Amino acid sequence: MRNSRPSTNFSRRRLLGTTAAGIAASSLAACATSGGDEDTEDVSVGGDAENPFDVDPAAPLDVVIFDGGFGDQYAVEHQKLYQAKYPDAEIEHLATQQISETQQPRFAQGEPADVIDNSGAQEIPIDSLINDGELAELTPLLDAPSFDDPDVPVRDTLREGSLAKGTFNGKVYALNYAFSAWTIWYDNKLFTDMGWPVPETWDEMLDLCPDIQAEGIAPWVYTGVHPVYLYDMFLMLAGRHGGVDVLKNLDNLEPDAWSQESVGLAAEAMYKLWEDGYVLEGAPGLDHIQSQTAFNERKAAFIPVGSWLPNEQKSIAPDDFEYAPIGVPYLEGSAQPGLISAGGEEPFIVPDKAQNKAGAYEYLRIMLSQEGAQIFGDTVSAATVVKGVELDNLAAQLTDELVSNPDDLFQPQFRFWYSKMDEEVRPALGALMSGESNPDEFLDRMQTVADETAADDSIEHFTHDE
Amino acid sequence: MRHGKYPFILSFLVLPVGLYAWLVILPFAQAFQISFTDWSGSTNQFDYIGFDNYINLFKDDRFVIPALQHTGIILVVLPIVTIAMGLFFAFMLNVGGRSRQGRIEGVRGAGFHKIVYFFPQVLSLSIIGILWKQVYAPPSFGGLFASGLQALGLPAPVNGFLAEKDLVLACVIGVLVWSSVGFYLVYFSSAMATIPRDFYEAGIIDGAGRFQLFFKITLPLLWESVQTAWIYLSIIALDVFVLIYVMTPDQGGPDGASEVVGGVIWKYAFKFADQAFASALGVVLFFAAMTLAVVTLRAGRREQIEF
Repeated sequence: MRNSRPSTNFSRRRLLGTTAAGIAASSLAACATSGGDEDTEDVSVGGDAENPFDVDPAAPLDVVIFDGGFGDQYAVEHQKLYQAKYPDAEIEHLATQQISETQQPRFAQGEPADVIDNSGAQEIPIDSLINDGELAELTPLLDAPSFDDPDVPVRDTLREGSLAKGTFNGKVYALNYAFSAWTIWYDNKLFTDMGWPVPETWDEMLDLCPDIQAEGIAPWVYTGVHPVYLYDMFLMLAGRHGGVDVLKNLDNLEPDAWSQESVGLAAEAMYKLWEDGYVLEGAPGLDHIQSQTAFNERKAAFIPVGSWLPNEQKSIAPDDFEYAPIGVPYLEGSAQPGLISAGGEEPFIVPDKAQNKAGAYEYLRIMLSQEGAQIFGDTVSAATVVKGVELDNLAAQLTDELVSNPDDLFQPQFRFWYSKMDEEVRPALGALMSGESNPDEFLDRMQTVADETAADDSIEHFTHDE
Repeated sequence: MRHGKYPFILSFLVLPVGLYAWLVILPFAQAFQISFTDWSGSTNQFDYIGFDNYINLFKDDRFVIPALQHTGIILVVLPIVTIAMGLFFAFMLNVGGRSRQGRIEGVRGAGFHKIVYFFPQVLSLSIIGILWKQVYAPPSFGGLFASGLQALGLPAPVNGFLAEKDLVLACVIGVLVWSSVGFYLVYFSSAMATIPRDFYEAGIIDGAGRFQLFFKITLPLLWESVQTAWIYLSIIALDVFVLIYVMTPDQGGPDGASEVVGGVIWKYAFKFADQAFASALGVVLFFAAMTLAVVTLRAGRREQIEF
């Protein structure tokens, strides 16, 4: 047994030495954290209405689509339009739900796609992309002549309020393509059968609750596991009461913004729903599928969700179910009772380092044409931010009425501007609605996190321009 | 032949060591490097900021501190409970039965039990998560446990177990134990099979009961296996993420009550776009796991018994 300890030849010291060499080599090579650094040219708007961005007809276009509730069929159709105009361009089309996993490495290498539909649970946080200077401004697109009428710029073909969500400190970085609103849903059939009046005000709603309960139905259900669904109900309750400035103060992280009277009243109103037992038992433990199923089964009368709900439930809800939306019933003395959280969703972004930036703008311009918007409406029966495309279903028409006054459209932004603050507000809202913290504790906690966010030097701060 | 030894050995090792260096050591080294930057993960620009990430780690009492606490709890509870149950069941299935004509046997149906206990091991962790999410659901939504408690007239959480801040972590640990006991039962069983039967027979002749057989014969002779199991389970405990992701409200909720280190790394890396901070936490986790393994092996060193 002369060689009984062969391991001495590969001693620990040698192993450490090799590892150190490896580390040294890796920091030189550093393949995940290096890459091209060249800036692509900025795109400007030229005089040619047919080709305002001076697209190279042969340049390939790289498109990434979030393959979620809307699918990717509409994008395939959009690409056909692009291809019809530029037959030599090769289009790379990727449909995925893993936006962050597939696209983040490409940003890290400095070789991002040209157009990205940055949506879904795996979206790349847009605040960080902007902080890093990775996104191109969409101003050239908005200033360019629209696809259908060269005399009208793209900007003027969009619905009011549709750019708000993609605007950061006055600069538009994302085109939110689908137009949607956060509303309270009820089943029109149930309300008609029972002879219940659809409440306008919070008090009318509270008066109705005992009647609803008498039928063995809970007045409210919500998605307790994902409190994100409560955001706009709560914020609109406050905003309707005090006017839109109340919400702008929250977004702008003003000191004491959470002590505004309207915010306190809204928190108390939400908390009282729990206190009075007007929420379906078990709601804090339900995910969105369970809560929406309970709603479809008429176990509850109201549910706060966005305007995609009826389309999503089309094949699941009972045949006689009539989805109808209202804005959140407003508190007594409300200054702006029509206020509603509506605007663009489904953000399309153009990376600053995109290889074919001109093509990307052109692709978005085609999406925003009447034909492009109609394709979207026909394939997914949802509205786009483009004006003048009619949709043929009841819920969409009712939603259209709710969002008809441009002055009443407002999307609260702080949860998109500050993704870490969002992480604190969401669970706090959940705790408020499940009775775990009372309104005072909730408001204290919110003011603390707002102050912390305002004081954080490591992130960029955004404000609504006046 | 001695002079030709190294080239010969190296020629075999080039490929595996190369792959290992490229796919394992390099990413690790890079995590170290990244942890000293302010890299967000979605850009190719970053600055070195020294130890700032490490300092900020321990100031983050919303995510990191609770995560460390919860992971710590899992780290203590999971190995103890799993090993205790694994040993108990293995002992019952191998030795614990009534001795018939002086022969040592397990309880009746031992083979069947072994298979049943092993079942969870076959399921993927995400399936287990979805399954148990439903088991823990609110009583009015088909939650097995809560409805069962209600049927017995006992108090049950109306919002389901996972919506309760005080219960959610225990629920997750319960699932972890459930899913790993089967494997360690089989593992300890095969280790027990190597213990000569005469030891037990001698013990029984000397009048030892089952307790004494277990503590005086089985456990000491299984010490090595227990130690190995402990290290494996500790690593599983440090690594808990899938169940938290699949089962708990808002992936770590309600309100951060089931935040664990693995989940917080994921949140920082992909939801807050702070890869550098996530890497720093990963580095801390790496050293914690190394220390743990070394300490467990050193502290548990005992005299070997040859038989």
